[in-house]
Amino acid sequence: MAETASKRILVIDDASLVRLYYRDALERAGFEVAEALNGLEALEKLLVFPADLLIVDINMPKMDGLTFLRTLRRQDPAISATPALVISTESGPQDIEATHAAGANFYLAKPLAQDVLVAYVAMLSGAPA
Amino acid sequence: MNEFLAQFLVESRELVEHATDDLLALEQVPDDRARLDSAFRGFHTLKGAAGIVEFTAMGRAVHAAEDLLEAVRSGEQPVTADLVSNCLACLDQVVRWLDAIDAEGALPIDAEAAAARLVARLASPAGPSLADARAASAAEDPDPPWAGRLRADTAGVVGARIAIRYTPSADCFFRGEDPLGLMSRLPGLLALEIRPLQPWPPLEELDPFAANLVIDALSSASSKEVADHLRPVSDQVRIYALRQDDDPVFPDRAAKVLKAQLALLSAPRGQEMAGRWASAGRVAANVLRHLGMEAEAAVIDAALARSLAAGDPAALLAALEATVNAAPAAAPREGGDDPGRIPSSPQDAIARALRVDIDRIDAIVNLTGELTVVKNALGHAAERARQGTDPEGLAQVLKQQHALLDRLTAELQRSVLAIRVLPLGHLFRRFSRPVRELARTLGKTLRLVIEGETTEADKAVVEALFEPLMHVLRNAVGHGVETAEQRRASGKPETAVIQLRGRRQGEHVVVEVADDGRGIDVVDVRRAAAARHLATTEALAALSDDAVVDLIFAPGFSTVGAVTDVSGRGVGMDAVRSAIERLGGRVAVKSRAGEGTTVRFVLPFTVMMTRVMTVEAAGQVFGVPFDAIVETLQLARDGIVAIGAAEAFVLRGRTVPLISLARALDADTTIATPSVANIVVIETGGQLAALEVDRFGERLDVMLKPMDGLLGGTTLVAGTTLLGDGRVLIVLDPLELLQ
Amino acid sequence: MTVKLENGNILLAGICPADDAEPLLRLVLNNRRAIVDWRACDEAHTAVIQILLAAKPELLGPPANPFLNRRIAPLIGDRRSGAHSSD
Repeated sequence: MAETASKRILVIDDASLVRLYYRDALERAGFEVAEALNGLEALEKLLVFPADLLIVDINMPKMDGLTFLRTLRRQDPAISATPALVISTESGPQDIEATHAAGANFYLAKPLAQDVLVAYVAMLSGAPA
Repeated sequence: MNEFLAQFLVESRELVEHATDDLLALEQVPDDRARLDSAFRGFHTLKGAAGIVEFTAMGRAVHAAEDLLEAVRSGEQPVTADLVSNCLACLDQVVRWLDAIDAEGALPIDAEAAAARLVARLASPAGPSLADARAASAAEDPDPPWAGRLRADTAGVVGARIAIRYTPSADCFFRGEDPLGLMSRLPGLLALEIRPLQPWPPLEELDPFAANLVIDALSSASSKEVADHLRPVSDQVRIYALRQDDDPVFPDRAAKVLKAQLALLSAPRGQEMAGRWASAGRVAANVLRHLGMEAEAAVIDAALARSLAAGDPAALLAALEATVNAAPAAAPREGGDDPGRIPSSPQDAIARALRVDIDRIDAIVNLTGELTVVKNALGHAAERARQGTDPEGLAQVLKQQHALLDRLTAELQRSVLAIRVLPLGHLFRRFSRPVRELARTLGKTLRLVIEGETTEADKAVVEALFEPLMHVLRNAVGHGVETAEQRRASGKPETAVIQLRGRRQGEHVVVEVADDGRGIDVVDVRRAAAARHLATTEALAALSDDAVVDLIFAPGFSTVGAVTDVSGRGVGMDAVRSAIERLGGRVAVKSRAGEGTTVRFVLPFTVMMTRVMTVEAAGQVFGVPFDAIVETLQLARDGIVAIGAAEAFVLRGRTVPLISLARALDADTTIATPSVANIVVIETGGQLAALEVDRFGERLDVMLKPMDGLLGGTTLVAGTTLLGDGRVLIVLDPLELLQ
Repeated sequence: MTVKLENGNILLAGICPADDAEPLLRLVLNNRRAIVDWRACDEAHTAVIQILLAAKPELLGPPANPFLNRRIAPLIGDRRSGAHSSD
């Protein structure tokens, strides 16, 4: 594998327990983790933390997940192509369609077991198996 | 929380409850096959449910318990107290996880570790071996031994996804089942092994009508197809999704992700297109790199570059499609993560969350009909009044209709409350585990016998009874029941019995906790009461034995340290009594030294809860019905105007009369009035009014006696109740207040 | 008749239901050296197969039914059946 540096994951969710849960699982699996409470913060964070993958919640104050994704995809090429994984409680087919339409690369439903999270994050960020 | 998850929680909790019952019953009667099978099915279904929500930690833990029970079913393991405890521990953990999901929508962080510990504990009932615990937490579960062996035996078989162990029950032929016939038609059958369950007896002794086989098989079909096929015999079958060591070209997850990128590339164009395509390309390349397919990843990178340059996703789309379709195993596949469940068919569905008797709804519907009739009659009467005809007759009609209305509203209230009733069984069952655990901890041998589970009581009463009953039961186990040696010495049967009984008695519900333990020694209580100065020695001497025993409810009694050993029961009994009286009931104790003790609760069958806001005035606490409150505010004294003998102030353009609660109740008004008034604005009958109080309190749900208080009263007071700190709360009737 | 004794062989023919298990067992017990000829057997209930698995008689095959041939015959040690097809 060419890449030896850790993959960088930005977790965007307004619930501190959820962020902690992901951070715990991902750091133990060797990822570098940063956090943001909502879409606005995330956009700011991305300016200083080039992420290999974003984990996005849908229901957030100030800027919800879908708005964030649409905004993200319109940015500078440096940021706009960042892979984005949506993890949310809304799980109807329209919800999934909506997240893809907004520009998410993949969707997973809560609750999510840690091993499943790590497996998908590894794949989506291109980390070695 | 989505509906699906809510349903999962409800069903899982019910499954846990049933499984707990089964395990406890099994412990009492270890060869009760029906209970064993039921417990096994319970864990099995829980595992399936966990699989649906991808709650793999829970699935793993429950699976281990299921394996353990399977071992019992096949005779490899006996039912022991330890085994039952371990299975119960598993259920405890499941409940904790369910609570976490309920509260946070996600698993707790240590779910995997907790599951690993459970698996280790359940695998070796004698105690977890460190090696097992480490191995379990380090890697994913290995295949169960029989599946591993099957795989090894059929090493040349490629494409096996599911392993099946089918143990037909001995009497299956009589049910018309043909196990091998069923297996012959199994979708994707790759390999089959058949062994005798018990070693074959000599041929002369062979029973041709009894099935004695264990059938192991491998299938390349999806677990859903296999499960559907084997549904008719699901209780005799274990299905296991094999760990895929040598995956086909794309493991399921990778395939799913790649397909999702295709969808992104085909999405309608917009301003975000470049970002979208680029991210899709990046993800696809990432997935391929993750799988070690460097060359393919490079192809995707190149195609992405071409697409971006051309402003057209076509190149990338083509390259991605080519990659995805290159794998022959691109045929639709199931998620490989599911731990091999048989989904329960509709008739297995466990009871729903809310159960309302249709008849009770109908009763209410009928009442609304009758109320309409009364309404119409009153309308007529009003018309007659307007015309001024026959005032005597009119008075008669009004009196009649009023009586009718009185009856109907009473019935309506009863009917509504009837929907709120729950069988006491719900409550009683919650004590089985704690009593068992406590008995084990204290080394006491006892049996909890439950009677009258179908007796119903108002939901509020049932829920409020939990703490007091728990308390009393703890006392019974801790102090009432003697040790086995003590019982033997006094000629009693070794196993003590605690009865938890419920029955309906007229307008009341009676719940009793009766033990056959050492009873309360009246002499000791008298002595202790005297020592605590609860009464003079002469007064005590004058009390009957029963009255003396009742002293254990006295507040002073329970706070004394030394006394607790003597009566034991004294601890917290005053709290129990005030809790019960708050419910509108009463509690009493009957006891005979050496023979046992019975604690008896008498509670009203119907109660009505009123939500009030508490306020203080002149040192007294009052409750103002919440529904009547418009708002609370603080007003400077100069905003209050005197109008004759009364007072008022202006609120948003309206003049609101103000009553000082303290003065209204003829309290001491010589205390100086504060410069800022605390005001509660209430509205009743369309009118606004306000109360001045000394202090605002909190929101409280209180029980009032039904009917007489609220509807019949003409006094200021709607009712009273006891607060937790022992003070009396007077609930006001706002309508009367305004007169 | 789906199970009967013929020329010293025990014959299993057509579709053999669960009820055949007992007669088959009796025949096998009384004719220990008899060969079980199941070439014409189209189907056999588990109860019948169970007798064969327990008694392991000498078989004359291959049985008409492919499932019996491929999956069951090898377990009884059918030496005279047709060639096994590979999986």
